[in-house]
Amino acid sequence: MSSSADVSGEASKWLDAHYDPVANLYTFTSCVDLADLGGDGENKLVIGDLGDGSCGMKLKVYRGTALVSESTLLDLPTGLVSFLMDLHEPRIPAVAVASGPFIYVYKNLRPYFKFTLPGLEVNALEQDVWRQAREGQIDPLALKELLEGVRDTADVPLSARSLRYLALEREDMQEFVSLHKAQPVRRQTVITCIGTLRKSTADEDGVSCLVIGAESSDVYILDPEAFTILSKLSLPSAPTMMDVTGQFDVEFRITVACRNGNIYILRRESTKPKYCIELSSHPVGLVRVGKNVVVGCAEEQLQGFTQKGKKLWTASLPAPITTMAAMDLPTRGFQAVLVGLANCEVHLYREKNLVSVIKTPDVVTGLRFGRYGREDGALVMTTKGGGLAVKILKRTATFDERDGAPGPPPAQSVRLNVPKKTKLYVDQTLREREHAAAMHRAFQMDLSRVRLAAAKAYVKALEAGLTPVSARPSVPLKMNAVVQGLGPAFKLTLNVQNTAACRPILNLTVSFLYDVGLYSMRTPYFRIPLLVPGPVYPFETLVECTSDKGISDVIKVFVLHDGKTAPLLTAHINMPVSEGLALT
Amino acid sequence: MGLFDKLAGWLGLKKKEVNVLCLGLDNSGKTTIINQLKPSNAQTQDIVPTIGFNIEKFKTSSLSFTVFDMSGQGRYRNLWEHYYKEGQAIIFVIDSADKLRMVVAKEELDTLLNHPDVKHRRIPILFFANKMDVREALSSVKVSQLLCLENIKDKPWHICASDALRGEGLQEGVDWLQDQIRTLRT
Ligand SMILES: Nc1nc2c(ncn2[C@@H]2O[C@H](COP(=O)(O)OP(=O)(O)OP(=O)(O)O)[C@@H](O)[C@H]2O)c(=O)[nH]1
Ligand SMILES: [Mg+2]
Repeated sequence: MSSSADVSGEASKWLDAHYDPVANLYTFTSCVDLADLGGDGENKLVIGDLGDGSCGMKLKVYRGTALVSESTLLDLPTGLVSFLMDLHEPRIPAVAVASGPFIYVYKNLRPYFKFTLPGLEVNALEQDVWRQAREGQIDPLALKELLEGVRDTADVPLSARSLRYLALEREDMQEFVSLHKAQPVRRQTVITCIGTLRKSTADEDGVSCLVIGAESSDVYILDPEAFTILSKLSLPSAPTMMDVTGQFDVEFRITVACRNGNIYILRRESTKPKYCIELSSHPVGLVRVGKNVVVGCAEEQLQGFTQKGKKLWTASLPAPITTMAAMDLPTRGFQAVLVGLANCEVHLYREKNLVSVIKTPDVVTGLRFGRYGREDGALVMTTKGGGLAVKILKRTATFDERDGAPGPPPAQSVRLNVPKKTKLYVDQTLREREHAAAMHRAFQMDLSRVRLAAAKAYVKALEAGLTPVSARPSVPLKMNAVVQGLGPAFKLTLNVQNTAACRPILNLTVSFLYDVGLYSMRTPYFRIPLLVPGPVYPFETLVECTSDKGISDVIKVFVLHDGKTAPLLTAHINMPVSEGLALT
Repeated sequence: MGLFDKLAGWLGLKKKEVNVLCLGLDNSGKTTIINQLKPSNAQTQDIVPTIGFNIEKFKTSSLSFTVFDMSGQGRYRNLWEHYYKEGQAIIFVIDSADKLRMVVAKEELDTLLNHPDVKHRRIPILFFANKMDVREALSSVKVSQLLCLENIKDKPWHICASDALRGEGLQEGVDWLQDQIRTLRT
């Protein structure tokens, strides 16, 4: 019950049920299955163990956390499936293990039947050459020469026996010929992948046919009980992975990934592929989710296709894919794709969205999600180093579409409600496009005019001392005025500042010019004391509006310098309308 | 309560009623355990997986138990919490031979202990480490370790190894539960 490293958030989804880093289990997804081999409602884990690749191949069965059965396999397993082959009670599934040209069928974990793929056509010339050798008409050297001639010219390839003979040293030839010449020449293919297909009902417990992909670019469908070939379909290339759906008697669809890097879709009505998906790189994983096919590519990509081969989406992966498996949880209506990656992670994709990342202590090579023991949501993982891990999906686990998914934020895909282009807009655009040069010219002309007018006004203002900033460099002054009050009495505050660096200003006077019929001022004229450079001096004076007609006027302020006729500064104060009535 | 019932109560003839929730994963043996605790004439022979829940009654020397035998199947486990309020004691059954799902049992137990209707109550919990007769079964000590029972500080709890098929270990557990309920009440 050891726990492996978990990213935060994953702990709320998966429980670590079991991890044995030294289970001595070397296998791939194609050789892992879950099945109720005891007929007691408790699923076992069946594994075709590849051992070290040359010996130690075994058929292993786990119950819960314990290995309960082990039997030796004669050759490397290439695929393993469990399937119901008959209707006998109790309904215990058989196990089919594919290796070389054979399928070994186990019932109750005892060998039950061995199926051999039919031999391939043998080259007539090759056969004739071996006949001559048997009858002693040619010596081993001549045999070699003749076989080489056949190999180079004929379109039917040589048998494995002839190829081995050609590779022999001269001293071993005689012995090989005498050992083998009596047997007829055979050409045999090997099984590359295996799947199951329900015979006639879609029920969970329906009898299933075996579907086999062979190196000879053929796909065979076998009868569940008699193991006769029900159908033979051919492909343009050798199949490597396969997904089968449907029922043999009704309608089926076999999606096959082939060694030429294409994916072909076979249907019941034809022995030739119906659709072809050409990929940009080799397929390394193939999973069907509902009606769509998800393909893992060698270029670290996951691609989704419709059942007719139309591409739906692409998702980039952070590392090369080691294996892929489907995650189907019908009780919760959840379907997704598990992708084992070379960076010790298993990613869970729902469509193109990454919904969960499981960190594993080792690279995962075998993946299977399904019912294990009595748990429907079990994830079985075998690792490169021979480990076995089982995780269980929590009852309360939910997968957030967005969580962890790299890419644009969701707000980016929200469509804005952009109004339709009106006719006016279109006309305007056309007009602008046609008369762009003229419009630009007119604009430039107006702009120059505005600038000229502004410059003229500025010069005039400077000359007349009409600005609130003094233009004379010897007496740099700045002034602004504030009016307070609602009327009829207003307070006028003049803020005067000497902006010189260090020189004070002396001998200044302020004078107001206003309509005496409208306003009266207590001090329409006063002197300004010495102005130290820097601080802002506020000068307040009171203005009374004497009219009750609700009109207002401008009061002009002049700052004068003794001995000069032109004012230093001028400001126009727009008086507000008096809102109160004068007390009379 | 009728006069007769009251009289019976005073005289100690009528037993106190206690509601007990029987929880645990599917196939752990809850129904089998409760069936064993019932008087032999009320026991059933064939036990099938429970759908939803069943209400069963049995009596001990001083108490009358009403047991809610909940189904442990995943899809029914969300029913459990609706009965937490009524439960005055909990029997939690574990299949000690199912090592794979020990984490699931722990997860469900933790969810139960953190539920607002259970969390702050001093409600006694009796654990049965059931199926001790199975060869590969874990000991009750191992089960309590895996479930981290030592972390339960604010509730009285007790674990018994049991074999529900032969009724072993059940009486010990029920006696403990009866004692707990009596001390809680007085
Ligand atoms: N060997 C053994 N088997 C037991 C024991 N207790 C129960 N069983 C068996 O376990 C199986 C499940 O028992 P149930 O009582 O139906 O389990 P449950 O907890 O009520 O299951 P659900 O109602 O589905 O939640 C039955 O086949 C019982 O015979 C035990 O102590 N030892
Ligand atoms: Mg039950």
